[in-house]
Amino acid sequence: MMDCKNIREIVDLYVDGELSPEATVQANAHLAECDSCRRTVDRLNRLRQAVKASVGQYQPTAQLVARVRKSTITSWLRPTIWIAAAAAMLLIAAAFSFTPQVRSAVANGLEFVAFHVEDSRATVMEGKLLCRECLLKDEYGYHALCPTRGHHGSLQTKDGKIWHILDGDASEELIHNSKLLGHTVRIHGRCFRRASSIEVDSYEVL
Amino acid sequence: MLLGWTGRSRRFERDALPHLPALYRMARQLVGAESADDLIQETYLRAWKYFETFESATNCRAWLFRILRNVWISRWRKNRLELPLAEAGDEQVEPYYDWEDEFLHDEMSPDVERALSELPSDYRIAILLADVEELTYEEIARVAQCPIGTVMSRLNRGRKMLARLIRTYGGARGSSPDREEFLRRKS
Repeated sequence: MMDCKNIREIVDLYVDGELSPEATVQANAHLAECDSCRRTVDRLNRLRQAVKASVGQYQPTAQLVARVRKSTITSWLRPTIWIAAAAAMLLIAAAFSFTPQVRSAVANGLEFVAFHVEDSRATVMEGKLLCRECLLKDEYGYHALCPTRGHHGSLQTKDGKIWHILDGDASEELIHNSKLLGHTVRIHGRCFRRASSIEVDSYEVL
Repeated sequence: MLLGWTGRSRRFERDALPHLPALYRMARQLVGAESADDLIQETYLRAWKYFETFESATNCRAWLFRILRNVWISRWRKNRLELPLAEAGDEQVEPYYDWEDEFLHDEMSPDVERALSELPSDYRIAILLADVEELTYEEIARVAQCPIGTVMSRLNRGRKMLARLIRTYGGARGSSPDREEFLRRKS
């Protein structure tokens, strides 16, 4: 048989239904005879109900539900994504066999895809400016066009990830001014996470 | 590949999306109304990314709560200074509270919310998962990535603390500028 002290020790487990069947029987036997412990259980139950009523009143908006659906399941079912992906593959294939002009078109095409395949979000990113083509050359022996076309700045964040900087007025210097290479910069703009790209609104050299 | 994605989408829609209201309730209590949408969005993006690792025989809701908590810790909580919690086995931090006082009254929702917002976050999460979402202690332990004994301790201390705070606000009802300010911000 439980006493008041035992009940105070297990009262949370009792109201949460976590006691074993045997212990529940014993607790019930004590509660049937003890007003004070019954009041404790009653108040704890009412507290639980008050928490539930208070928190349970909030519901997500229809816009949030739509946003979550769009960014997860439907983003992979929208035909435009597959068309854009196929176009990107073709452009990449073309990039390996055609002239620098075609490579430039490929870059523009990839940027177009980046803009359209996902929702973006405002971001502030810090990292080091590095030339993407030189990195590829060092890593994989890629035939970089830097000697003829100049370097192409990209952002390497602390986690080692390389972010493609989208062409724009605000990003002109970051991409094409080779004097900035190796400097740490802070970029304010929008981030296209899945396309590993950033659109620059403004930046500062740190 | 497209068929694979379609099947995955269907499972995600069936198993994960119905829990959005429950996750939203928790997100709102953790980061407030202004940031709850962002926390939910990021939680679901991560859940979608790792959905292949979810074992369909297990509880999807608990799995999602665990992701939400991890996202919240990595993106939101690290920016807030919070005192470390005393866990099971440490000294009792909450003064003895015997549930004898009548602290509950009608129209108390703002008091409950305010009291919840002042609880240490790990206590708040345990209480919300137990009282609102009705998860078992084992599931709460999995979400919070702690032993079941710690869950018991957080619930016990957290509820006592909550009752004490509600009683304090109830005593000051109608006259507290803090409460007025809280209600003004809520509206």
